[in-house]
Formats: sequence, C-alpha cells, structure tokens
Amino acid sequence: MTAEPPAAAPARRTTLIARVESIFDHAADTRSLFLSLTGGKHQRFVPGQFISITIPLNDETRSRPYSIASDPEDRGPFEICFNRVAGGRGVAWLFERQVGDLVDFSGPFGAFTIDRPPAAELCFIAEGTAIAPIRPMLKRALASSPSPKAELIYAAPDREHILYAAEFDALARTAPSLSYETVIAPAEKIYDRLFELAQARWVTADADRTRHFYICGVGKGVIRLRDLLRGAGYERRSVHYEQW
Amino acid sequence: MAKLRIQFENGDPEKVIEFDPAKAPFHHDGKPGSILDVMLGHGVHLEHACGGNCACTTCHVIVKQGFNKLGESSEQEEDLLDRAPGLTPTSRLGCQAVIDDPDAEIVVVIPRFTINQVSEAAEE
Repeated sequence: MTAEPPAAAPARRTTLIARVESIFDHAADTRSLFLSLTGGKHQRFVPGQFISITIPLNDETRSRPYSIASDPEDRGPFEICFNRVAGGRGVAWLFERQVGDLVDFSGPFGAFTIDRPPAAELCFIAEGTAIAPIRPMLKRALASSPSPKAELIYAAPDREHILYAAEFDALARTAPSLSYETVIAPAEKIYDRLFELAQARWVTADADRTRHFYICGVGKGVIRLRDLLRGAGYERRSVHYEQW
Repeated sequence: MAKLRIQFENGDPEKVIEFDPAKAPFHHDGKPGSILDVMLGHGVHLEHACGGNCACTTCHVIVKQGFNKLGESSEQEEDLLDRAPGLTPTSRLGCQAVIDDPDAEIVVVIPRFTINQVSEAAEE
C-alpha cells in the first residue's frame, strides 16, 4: 500500500433488495417509505434495529442507516421514516424514490433494541423522526405479558411533527399501563425542556432508580440526558440511547 | 509514517497501510484519522452499517498491537462495545479509534462476526 490514498473503498456488499410499495408524507419535510423484499419474503428484525441503505452519489456509494419504524409483527411492508436535513444528500436521494423503485440495503443492524422488555418501568424519550425505533420498541413492551408500566415522552417543534399522533393517542387510551405526553418546543429548546422534565420526574421526584430508559434523538442533547440519568444513580445499562 | 496492519479472521490476506496521520481525513465516514477512515481511504473495506457515526458495532476491531497509541474511547463507544459479539479487553470501534501518532504501528484483527442479529436469516 502507498501513503497516498487511492480510490475510495468499494461499497459494502449489498445483501438485500427492497421495492418501494408506498409512500406516506407525514409533513412537507417528513416522509415514510414502505418497503418489501423482492421475492415476497418477510423482513425479520428486532424492534429498534435499522437497515443500512446503499445511496448512490455520483461516482460512489455510501451506506446510511435508517431505523425501522414499523412493528416486526406486521406481515406487510416494513417502514422507514426520515426528514429533510440541510446538506443531507442521502435523504435527498430517498425523497426522490418513487413507488416501484428498488432500494439496496443490508441489515438489520443495531443494539438499541427491545426484544424481551426488562421487568421494570420503561421510560421512552424521543424527538421528531427519532420516534422511528421507539415506536416498535414501545409496541413490543406493551404487547408483553405482564405489560410493564411505560411512559412515552415525545418532543417536536410543532404538532405537525408529532408523528403517529393518532396511534399514540389510541394506545394511551387502550393501554392502561402507558402514559403518553408530548412536548412542543422550539427546536433549539427541545433538549432543555426534556432535560428539565427528566430531572423533575425521574431524578428529584423519588428515589426509585430501577427504571429503564430508551432515548433516541439528534445531537448532544441525547448525551446530556444520558449523563443526567446515570449521574442520578441509574445503572449504566439501564440507560439505553441512540444518538443520531 | 504510521503503519496499520490489518488481519482478517475470515482468512482474507493481510493488508498493510502506511499513511501520514496529518493528512486525515482520508474518506468521509468515521472520525478523521480513525481506523475506519484510514482503511476506507486506502481501499480496504470495513463494515460500518451506521455510516461511521458510533451507532452500531459493525466496525468492531480487536487491537493486537498499539492499543495505547490510539485515541481514548468515549463512554458512547464503551456502551456500544458492551454489545459487540466477541468483545475483548482490546476491542475498539474502528470509526472511533483515531491514530494520530505518526510513529504508531497498529495491528488489528477484523472479527468474523459483527452484530447483525437477524440478517443471517433475514428472510422467512
């Protein structure tokens, strides 16, 4: 090998191909694609996992992760959910996909998952499209027997970006063990609000440190929440998180 | 020049990369100057399903030589490594382990398996 970099590494081996079966726009900048494996087989995954999609960009390809937002128990297409971000070429490519297009991907991957929920109170915290992995995790938890006490705190800059709102409202009505709350705040204030809420509810309100947390969001705010909870005495392995 | 020697548990032939850490980044995924960055930029493939963003363990490497020459791991990296199959005391995530010493000689082994819980039987 030489000291000077040659051409970029070849793309990671692609193992699966999915067809775009349908498209749903949650908002002008937020979209879900519903994908089915070519050949008609069912994609298995654990709630919380992601797939790594091969994104062709000019003369190279990149792999980018997208959490699976649907329930693995659903036998139909599986869903990924994403939003436009400034300079995000991968997501721009995804926005150009049409029904019938094929998408190369590998996976599923990821350790931010719930297969069998722990026997503890579960606290889910998400913002915006980071609800994607949380949604099937919450459903898996509520479907278990006995169903654990669960709380979902879901933040967004406005009501339009609270995804699956009707579904979560219905879950909260029908699942007595679930408490569901939304936080609407300007984007730059979301994690300040979540931090205050977490501190008041799970740090200063009582001495219970048996809860398990599942936090998903964008940026350093996720790490602030992690550090708050671990610093307050929750076990390291009880504070699960995925920082986008 | 720093040297990165890469051995593969699956039997692929060993690769050796000599590089100047000051010229990082070499590619666009992983921390600049990380094992992942160096490998991809020199045409050697390493899995990185999350795009090299410290969100999975598919770039898990086992450092056989030069562990102390690498940049320190973060709590986030340690949390992920907890879930890596085949974890060893000298495991690192390739996307996070930065080589910035120009005299470093690092030897890593790429494990045969990464965490890919379902894909071995992805379809049913």
